[in-house]
Amino acid sequence: MTDSTHFPSDACDKRSWWHKLSWAFDRNSTTNRPKQPTVATELSIAGTLKRGDFCLQLNDTLPLHGITALFGRSGCGKTSLLRAIAGLDRHPEAHIHFGSTPWQHGKHFLPVHQRRIGMVFQESSLLPHLSVKQNLLYGYHRLSKTSPRHLQPAQVIEWLELAALLPQKPEQLSGGQRQRVALGRALLSQPQLLLLDEPLASLDQQSRNEIQPFLQRIARQSGIPMLLVSHQLDEVVKLADQLVLMQDGRIHSQGPLPQQLLRPELAAIGAMSLLYANSSGCQGHLLQLTIGEQQLQLPAPLHSTTAAPASIKPVSYRLRIQARDVALSLQPLTDSSVSNQLQVRITGFNPAPHPAETLVQLDLAGQPLQALLTKQSVERLGLQLGQLVYAQVKAVALD
Amino acid sequence: MIELTAQDWQAIQLTLKLCLYTTLILLLLGTPLAWWLAQGQSRVRTAIQALVALPLVLPPTVLGFYLLLLLGPHGAVGGTLEQLGFHHLAFSFTGILIGSVIYSLPFTVQPLLESFRRMGPRPLEVAQTLGAGKLDQLFSVVLPLCRGGFIVAATLTFAHTLGEFGVILMLGGSIPGETQVLSVLIYDHTEAMNYSQAHQLSLGLLIAAFVVLFIVYGLNKRFDRGQLT
Repeated sequence: MTDSTHFPSDACDKRSWWHKLSWAFDRNSTTNRPKQPTVATELSIAGTLKRGDFCLQLNDTLPLHGITALFGRSGCGKTSLLRAIAGLDRHPEAHIHFGSTPWQHGKHFLPVHQRRIGMVFQESSLLPHLSVKQNLLYGYHRLSKTSPRHLQPAQVIEWLELAALLPQKPEQLSGGQRQRVALGRALLSQPQLLLLDEPLASLDQQSRNEIQPFLQRIARQSGIPMLLVSHQLDEVVKLADQLVLMQDGRIHSQGPLPQQLLRPELAAIGAMSLLYANSSGCQGHLLQLTIGEQQLQLPAPLHSTTAAPASIKPVSYRLRIQARDVALSLQPLTDSSVSNQLQVRITGFNPAPHPAETLVQLDLAGQPLQALLTKQSVERLGLQLGQLVYAQVKAVALD
Repeated sequence: MIELTAQDWQAIQLTLKLCLYTTLILLLLGTPLAWWLAQGQSRVRTAIQALVALPLVLPPTVLGFYLLLLLGPHGAVGGTLEQLGFHHLAFSFTGILIGSVIYSLPFTVQPLLESFRRMGPRPLEVAQTLGAGKLDQLFSVVLPLCRGGFIVAATLTFAHTLGEFGVILMLGGSIPGETQVLSVLIYDHTEAMNYSQAHQLSLGLLIAAFVVLFIVYGLNKRFDRGQLT
């Protein structure tokens, strides 16, 4: 372990006098921060959230495992919902329960600093008068003595590759680095729920690509449930496990991401499918993947600095497939360059945004897949519900 | 060269005491007031802000006149004090201290208000989500981020009290050791045609005021931050 990752060591780690004093004042109420992590599997929210003329009607329960995306157009109330959950805005007509713990119910309102949430804001929110290291430890040092520390600074610094940044000031960092520090800072406060308010929206594409793998890695390795606000479908499909679709001042629908992608509202933005596949190793430079009984071969991702080391390569992959990259044939093709052919069953036909096209819903070993075909092709092949056909997948994005 | 009389020294001492007390009291009163004003826009806030700014535009004599009525033996405050067996506050150090506090209030509130507004709500939201309670937020976020605002507010308040004249003359008169501050003494010296003595004190004040303002503007530049990065 190097000096820079050794905690706690120097003067900035020591609790200052005001800290101890504030502790006595701020925590003398009976509603102390819970000392044990509440094991909650769902967050329920009911009532009305009002902000100016805008009004959000809710009576929903959100799952608390993996990454849950709150998705919708700008201004549909995603951020308002997230701020209400955090307790940053107070809505007298809403009830919020974290598992069985009331966060807001009638006159009872658990203050933000006692909710044990982590939050990453859209724009950079590092405290400018503190170094990166002091920012990282701001929440960590405010944990009560008895509360568990599941995540250690050294570990978070390693995950987010922050070691080199520790002595710097926030103003010296790039946008992507700042969001990484903000994420690490939130994680080190040992949250029971991580709230991400479009954490990538203010970043350029390169920084975005740089942070996404970190988010996935952290969701997998920390086990902390996350609520991710986003208005970018490709970002959601890369990261989320569940999708909550918000529309017209309410939650329109929610469910596992692969199933949610079939909804016409999402298909209109970008018809695509998400498949989960297991890898059975590499042959040559081709990654061998299985979905149920079926096989796929894809060029193995080249080793990059942000990817996990080869020794702990994930065995499970997420495959993003655009509906227009899927073709259907009645027989397996032998004289085609497309080598990934999957036997699928037709489960439905949905209208596509373009009147000449149809979205064909397919079932691949229990997972949904969509193909965008012209209506003419559907008629020519005589495709029908329940029919077994072969899907040729021309392009796949691996996550 | 410089030959200050005992009376001059007494006035200098009294002036510094008045400035120091005013600054301390105003930092304690002005901080919560400025904080409250920074929390949003409402009719009540606008009214209070206008009230705070009144001493900027009113002739000091108007302020001094009403304070004299209020704190004097027949005023609401002074009269009550007399009834309770205390002395009324006109022509006393406590009286001119109250006058100074009201007169210099905008010079404390404005810089603080500006620096609170510039900081915005976000740093405190961040601190809350990281487990910091109210008092903890004040010490670990507000004070360090608004340090410039506090220093400017304190310096301006001090300097403005240094230059106070009208209110003190109306309310306190010119009692050596009690209400005779530098500005009043200079006036007295001039009235008595002691030009050389008036000159010494005036030049001293001028230089002191310039130095203080120079420091304020220097600090303003140095602390011209407070936004999140």
